[in-house]
Amino acid sequence: MAVKFFGQFLLEHHAVKQEDLLKAIELQETTNLKFGATALAMGLISLTSFERVHNAQRLEDLKFGDMAIKLGILTEEQVKQVLIRQKNNHLYIGEALVRIGALSSEDLKHYLDAFKEDQAPYVVDRIVIPAEVSHPQVWEICADLTFKLLLRVAGLATRTTAGQISDTLDPLFQAAIMPFKGTVQGRYALCVTEATRLAIAKAILKEDSVAGEAEEVLNDTVLEFVNIICGNIAAKSAQLGVSFEIDPPYMHPSSAGSLNAQPGEKILTFPIHVADGDAIILALFIKD
Amino acid sequence: MKKVLIVDDSIAVARQLEKILTGSEEFEVAGHAKNGAEAIKMKQTTRPDLICMDMNMPVMDGLTALRTLMAMDPNAKVVMVTSLGGVGDKFAEALRLGAKTVISKPFDADAVLQTLRDL
Repeated sequence: MAVKFFGQFLLEHHAVKQEDLLKAIELQETTNLKFGATALAMGLISLTSFERVHNAQRLEDLKFGDMAIKLGILTEEQVKQVLIRQKNNHLYIGEALVRIGALSSEDLKHYLDAFKEDQAPYVVDRIVIPAEVSHPQVWEICADLTFKLLLRVAGLATRTTAGQISDTLDPLFQAAIMPFKGTVQGRYALCVTEATRLAIAKAILKEDSVAGEAEEVLNDTVLEFVNIICGNIAAKSAQLGVSFEIDPPYMHPSSAGSLNAQPGEKILTFPIHVADGDAIILALFIKD
Repeated sequence: MKKVLIVDDSIAVARQLEKILTGSEEFEVAGHAKNGAEAIKMKQTTRPDLICMDMNMPVMDGLTALRTLMAMDPNAKVVMVTSLGGVGDKFAEALRLGAKTVISKPFDADAVLQTLRDL
């Protein structure tokens, strides 16, 4: 019912033991070398250059390959060669389990097919993201999984229009916000109406009626819903090789006024029309 | 009946888990800690058989708390119930620190009960 790591799926289905999974992860870690270590193993850089790139990365947020190009240590062609080597030699968790004898090749095929079926609802549909934003694939996942989880978790059928860039945002009844940090920086915000808050509360609490529930509980259900969406976004992004951290979510009530872009941020908004005529907003505060 | 300590900053999740656990008549809720620091205190006072813990919490996150809980009691049975379960690195770190398994949110009742029964 969520975006999963293949190893987690195998554990859930009792296909492997926890200790075998840990052994396989260790094998992956020793086999799948990072970019710098791969370049070193290929003889493309010296240990001194390797350390020089690392030191420069402490001062500027660039990937190893990009920094090596900037310092004149590697050419673009050599960076491509390293990436190809990394891709070709990558040991996936399923193969690692077969290699240590914890899973047969036949079982791997069977569980991979079942995993693909389990994860099919989370395959990202094409959503147009303006060209000028960084990490467009992550923001595409944000929009896509929001629509999918609104339907799967909250039972809300939605339709949206193309994303628009703006400087300010009306939080509607309230906005639940989750900060992203690390490789991807920004804030995810879901601005909901009171009607949508109630629909989310019913779904999260699994109750037919939430009349009489405290404000604190109703708000908490929206925060938890955003926590679920963002956790799944982080998982899906990690599958694509982009890892980032999320902080606990917080609420911005309409009484606190509009939400504005901070310096270096732009707001990408998606108006979302909910089936019963209600309209909410997904807003992505993207920091470049 | 096995006692379960719920560790999650969300009241909604605690309510959801409590409903699932008490509905099964196999488990009872030992308490609800709202962050990792509270979990460490409540582990000593409530002596639960199992702990269901979130990863992303204020004050002290779940992985930091897991490290401390396992140092205090290497036999502790901790299951991480988290929206970050699908992030491979987080999943691997939780297992390495001693979690029995990781359940991703959104979760379903049957999967949670089956996992706890298997421990």
